[in-house]
Amino acid sequence: MTDARLVLCADDDEDILSLVSLRLRRAGFEVTTAADGAEAVEVARARRPVLAVLDVMMPKRTGYEVLAELRGDEALCGMKVILLSARVQEGDVARGMDAGADAYLAKPFKAQDLVAKVEELLA
Amino acid sequence: MTSSPLASRAVPAVAARVRSAPATWAFLGVGLLAIGLYFLLPPDVQSVFYVVIGFSSVMAIYVGAARNLPKSERLPWQLFAFGLLGQVAGDAIFAVYEVSLNREPPSPSIADAFYLAGYPLLALGVLLVLRRLGGQTSRAAILDTLVIFSGVALVQWVFFIDPYNHMHFGSEFARLVRMAYPAVDVLLLVAFAQLLVGPGGRTRAYRLLLGSIALWVVADEIFGLNSSYEGGAWIDALWLGSYVMWAAAALEPSMARIAVPDRRRLPRLTSTRLGLLALASLTAPATLLIERVSHHRVHAFVIAFGGAVLGGVVLLRLAGLVHAVERAGLAERLARREAEQAQQLLAFQNEQLLEIDRLKDEFVSSISHELRTPLTSIAGYVELLQEDEEDAEKRGHLTIVGRNAERLLALVSDLLFAARLQYGRLELERSPVDLRSLVEQCVDSAKPRAQAASVHLDLEVEDVPQILGEQAKLAQLLDNLVSNAIKFTPRDGRVGVRLTAHHELIRIEVSDTGIGIPDHDRERLFERFFRAQSALERQIQGTGLGLYISKAIVDAHDGRIGVDSLPGEGTTFVVELPAAA
Repeated sequence: MTDARLVLCADDDEDILSLVSLRLRRAGFEVTTAADGAEAVEVARARRPVLAVLDVMMPKRTGYEVLAELRGDEALCGMKVILLSARVQEGDVARGMDAGADAYLAKPFKAQDLVAKVEELLA
Repeated sequence: MTSSPLASRAVPAVAARVRSAPATWAFLGVGLLAIGLYFLLPPDVQSVFYVVIGFSSVMAIYVGAARNLPKSERLPWQLFAFGLLGQVAGDAIFAVYEVSLNREPPSPSIADAFYLAGYPLLALGVLLVLRRLGGQTSRAAILDTLVIFSGVALVQWVFFIDPYNHMHFGSEFARLVRMAYPAVDVLLLVAFAQLLVGPGGRTRAYRLLLGSIALWVVADEIFGLNSSYEGGAWIDALWLGSYVMWAAAALEPSMARIAVPDRRRLPRLTSTRLGLLALASLTAPATLLIERVSHHRVHAFVIAFGGAVLGGVVLLRLAGLVHAVERAGLAERLARREAEQAQQLLAFQNEQLLEIDRLKDEFVSSISHELRTPLTSIAGYVELLQEDEEDAEKRGHLTIVGRNAERLLALVSDLLFAARLQYGRLELERSPVDLRSLVEQCVDSAKPRAQAASVHLDLEVEDVPQILGEQAKLAQLLDNLVSNAIKFTPRDGRVGVRLTAHHELIRIEVSDTGIGIPDHDRERLFERFFRAQSALERQIQGTGLGLYISKAIVDAHDGRIGVDSLPGEGTTFVVELPAAA
């Protein structure tokens, strides 16, 4: 079972991680964080969030790799994933969607866009 | 009018044939009539008439060479004329004896000297004609000649020359003179064989020459086999025919370009050449067989010697062929190896180019990432502070920070877009696009900006066919044009967006009642980093990249972008895009 209001945020940039977390908390979600890809996988397995907001360019494991790992884990099959990245070229977006992301948001992002996307995916 | 290339090429050929007809055919016709007449004449007139036909032919050869060839190329035909003149001189001496003395000249006589002197000249003439056509000096061609020469010489010796060794003659000199005739015939026979295997593309003149020499050698060989010759015999028709044909060949204009020159290093092994070589190679066993069957004395030594020479030469020729094949094989292997190496190099270079391409994309991508990451924090936290700030003035300040962060982001995006354009034409991910809804969306999202600038935004759209393009790029194009129009229009001005279809073209017009663009700026408007003087004077912000990028997007969609403007009145940008086929 996944936690119905728990969201995982993973980003190696501390400032952005705090910003995203704050925005989601304000929107009424419970937030757990990870500072790199490996930690993101670990936390996801341990806490089973309902949704993950993953940065793409992270150390240890990239957002794509984390996504692939989560998608390969049957226990996490209901989990939604949003990729949030400053890499916004067509190839990057296409690669993210091909890897099984539910959404791809570009940095910088508008708070209302992020929250709206999360709400939409969890609706 | 039916004028095919074939027909027009045939015209000169027909014309040449018509022009040549009078001289060549007239001479041949009159000559044949004269030969017929010859056999009806009484014996004493006959020999004189024989000389007349011969001499006319010699003159015709001389005249033909002068008419058809430049001075420097006449030598072979002059040799023919002199060679045949030798024959005619011999005939004349015979005629003098027969008419005035009523008997044949003694044997040998001065007539023999003229006759015999003619043969080398004729053979030399043939050699020179062939030399001009090339293909005669290669080792293989010389070996072929040697094979034919050996075969002919063997037959001539056994059947035509040696028999004189067993006949009774008044003197040894007389015997030698008689033996010299079949000996010089070897020259003409070899020359004839060379003509027979000569180059392709033969003209009528070539065939006439071949025919005349054939008649000549056949007559000589028959004469040699059957020594009971008398003036006025049917065999005279062959010699006379040879004279007349030789002259016709000289009169025929095609003798100037008698065959297609052959520049091959190795002669082609045509069926004629192979047949002739086989015939020559078989002369030794054939001679042996004929002598054995007809119970002649067998020329064992000569046949063995001739057979050995023929075998040796054929072996050399074979070795040459094998070498040629080996050389060709080696050259082929070398060429193949070179081609393989070139292919490997090409593959390697291709890989490198792909790698460079990948690195370039990676570079642009990571620069983009590095610039956007801090901007994300700035914009995000400013947005947060704006929401939380209750002091209106401070909120106003934060709005300014936020707006500038957005400008910085737009600038970064435009610069990266321009940087990628520098690498080459814009690559599109095309799919069918409904421009009507795209234009409506764009105008919708521009409304807040228009309101903020107190500019009226009008939209006029109709249903248009879909186009094949990239939605995101087209949205960027529309946004650029509409943003520009709002930016350059004073308060209470109007910006209009129109979408219409004109046959296969879809037209988007974005017009404003703004400051306008002077003529001298209009030409440079779509250049990278170009900013109009009027924009700089009014301190209207911009990077000079928007229209550059817009044009690149339109170009990538195979469309056109243009501008119409009156300074102080307004500007209209017109984009035309092709509808999907």
